[in-house]
Amino acid sequence: MRRVVDRGLHAGARLCLVAALSVAAVAASGPRSATGIDLQGRTVDPLAADRGKATVLVYVRTDCPVSSRYAPTVQKLAAEYGGKSKFWLVYPAKTDTVPVIEKYLKDFEYKLDALQDPGRGLVKVGDAEITPSVSVFSANGELLYHGRIDNWYEDFGRARREPTTHELADALAAAVAGKRPAVSTAPAVGCYISDLQ
Amino acid sequence: MRRFALSVAGLALLLGEAAMGQHGPRKVTFNREIAPIVFHNCAPCHRPGEGGPFPLMNYREVASHARQIVTVTASRFMPPWLPDKGDYPLADDARLTPQQIALFARWVKDGELEGAAKDLPALPHFVEGWQLGKPDMILKAPKPFVLPASGSDTYWNFVLPIPVERTRWVKAIEIRPGNKKVVHHANILLDRLGTAREMEKTPGDGFGGMEIRVESEVFDPDSHLLFWKPGTRIEPEPDGLAFRVDKGTDLLLNAHLQPSGKPEPIQPTVGLYFTDKPADKKPMLLEIEHDSALDIPAGVKDFAVTDSFTLPLDVDVLAVYPHAHYLGKDILAMVTMPDGTKKTLIHIPHWDVNWQAVFTYAKPVTLRRGTVISMRYTYDNSEDNIANPNHPPQRVLGGNRATDEMAHLWLQVLPHAQPDSTVDPRMVLQEALSRHEVEKDATNFEAQYNLAAICSMRGDVKEALPHYEAAAALRPKDPVVNNALGSALLSNGSVGPAIERLKEALALRPGYFDAHYNLAIAYSSQDNPAEAAREFGEAARLKPGDANAHANFGATLAQLGRLEEAKRELEAALKIEPGHELAKENLAQVNEMLAEGKK
Repeated sequence: MRRVVDRGLHAGARLCLVAALSVAAVAASGPRSATGIDLQGRTVDPLAADRGKATVLVYVRTDCPVSSRYAPTVQKLAAEYGGKSKFWLVYPAKTDTVPVIEKYLKDFEYKLDALQDPGRGLVKVGDAEITPSVSVFSANGELLYHGRIDNWYEDFGRARREPTTHELADALAAAVAGKRPAVSTAPAVGCYISDLQ
Repeated sequence: MRRFALSVAGLALLLGEAAMGQHGPRKVTFNREIAPIVFHNCAPCHRPGEGGPFPLMNYREVASHARQIVTVTASRFMPPWLPDKGDYPLADDARLTPQQIALFARWVKDGELEGAAKDLPALPHFVEGWQLGKPDMILKAPKPFVLPASGSDTYWNFVLPIPVERTRWVKAIEIRPGNKKVVHHANILLDRLGTAREMEKTPGDGFGGMEIRVESEVFDPDSHLLFWKPGTRIEPEPDGLAFRVDKGTDLLLNAHLQPSGKPEPIQPTVGLYFTDKPADKKPMLLEIEHDSALDIPAGVKDFAVTDSFTLPLDVDVLAVYPHAHYLGKDILAMVTMPDGTKKTLIHIPHWDVNWQAVFTYAKPVTLRRGTVISMRYTYDNSEDNIANPNHPPQRVLGGNRATDEMAHLWLQVLPHAQPDSTVDPRMVLQEALSRHEVEKDATNFEAQYNLAAICSMRGDVKEALPHYEAAAALRPKDPVVNNALGSALLSNGSVGPAIERLKEALALRPGYFDAHYNLAIAYSSQDNPAEAAREFGEAARLKPGDANAHANFGATLAQLGRLEEAKRELEAALKIEPGHELAKENLAQVNEMLAEGKK
């Protein structure tokens, strides 16, 4: 059994009171909370869609410049781990409508499947707070890592020439090897999902 | 304790009536407190077609970035404005007050309320398209440059020829840099000698590079800091401060581009607004710098570079453009008045090359002769500086590449005329500056060359010579300095050494008009009309529109008895310049000799 219950076990294992509380909230919302809507309007559970592969939810917003600048990095990693992982772009903003997302995918040459997340179920299941950020799940749906893609950005407007740590790549490498990454979370820089209506 | 209590009370007062109702604190709303700030300070860039990545024009748009706005205003990342409040107010100061910043946080805390419709102010009227109406001339970069989707920031140079047939005066310029979402800022240089064109592989291509210098062979100091950054308000130059463009002048647009995640074609356009009134005020750019002191060891967090320059005459400072690269940390420029008073010209406590800008003073800053302008820049070459281009840090020297460092303080100044002198005050200033540079660093080629050029322009060849020689020793393969040294030697009566230098200049740059012309003069002064005629002939061939070359060629041909050819050249000179005295006199003589010969 994948989905939120497994994730809940993981969060519980972290022995963190706040995490445990949020687990309760997620659990209360039921399994439906882990679904998004694809661009054809179908309900999709990305954590159940590709069994046997690691899942990466990439939270983005079309009007978030930091999200956009990460497009080549995300696309490259998705291509690199193509056989062993499944990447999904998750759009939590209601203003990111199907035509807006379709144009964005074309402009940024994304070849990934996209999901709208109007109910924020996918945001909750991945503990996401920021766009851009990622949540990496093991092949059996356990949340292994959530947070920044790498440390390119230190703060708004304060970017390194090149990142010096690569949290997403490290988490992916661990996930496909069936291991737990050394780092389970790292703060992302970008737009707050909670700012969205 | 008492002081603490007072300051808290002060803060509450400053927060003001807006937030304090009659029945205790009232909640902050978008319409009443937030919209006036956002419409005035954010929306000019955060609206469609402008550089802001998302619009901030209404409640919904602002609310969907509310916490982000709290964060970026508190850190003063937004609105982008680097300088601290100094002793001289800057025009268009975009800094928010601490009270305004606090209001954003309170708005979010109070629940991001929209408020009453009656409280909502109208959006400012934003002019679409050209800000000053249709320009008199619109220039467009010949070809777009396609910025790759990813990678580090790029500096790209576009060469925009100005198709004017005669000298025009420009009273305003609007730079439309192309896609404002990726163009971070742009600088424009006037290139009067086609230096930039020569750097293009094929015309219109443009070329990469962060720091560009254009040559000038005459004393024609740049006078304006032409700069675009997001939100730049376009204003005509004050009366009398137009700048000149001539036939053949190019605009060199240096754009700082930040990859967006997708390939972006960039093709800037520039609008020029002309005036019939030539400039009657002559500002110039004063560059105080100390790049030669930049040798920053790896890991050092606080490397300081200083310089100071004493003004040789009174000036008005109109604008300032401090410049450093990625290691720059704290940028300070001070003035010390003759009476010892110190004032801050500009202080940037957290330098960020991405938000460098030209800052114009709200009112010109008058500085008296004897005032010392001093700069103190510090650099962080440690791992803590996340902008550090080297990981791990490495020793960094001064230089033009983005990974080198710079310590420059550009000031746009208007030198006051000196009451008892007819000398161009810009020359006095440039001479003092060049002398200062030479004293600081005798291996500064440009300073040696400029000092020599100014000395020779005011007729002091004796003083010019050692500086030309120093410049030539620094760059023996530079044709321009060889020609200038040759010409100075010639003026000083050293014809033999002059000829050597001029020949060297021609060996380095075949087809160099000035060197051929000067060499011809040298041969003439040796009473060698045959060689002189050959060189003048070459000069006239290279620049068929130069009346002097034809007139002198004609004169030497006449000396050689080649009268028919002489007549043709002298007539050519007069066709170009009907009033050319030398050509007129010589032509009359040649015609007489020809008539006599026929008899």
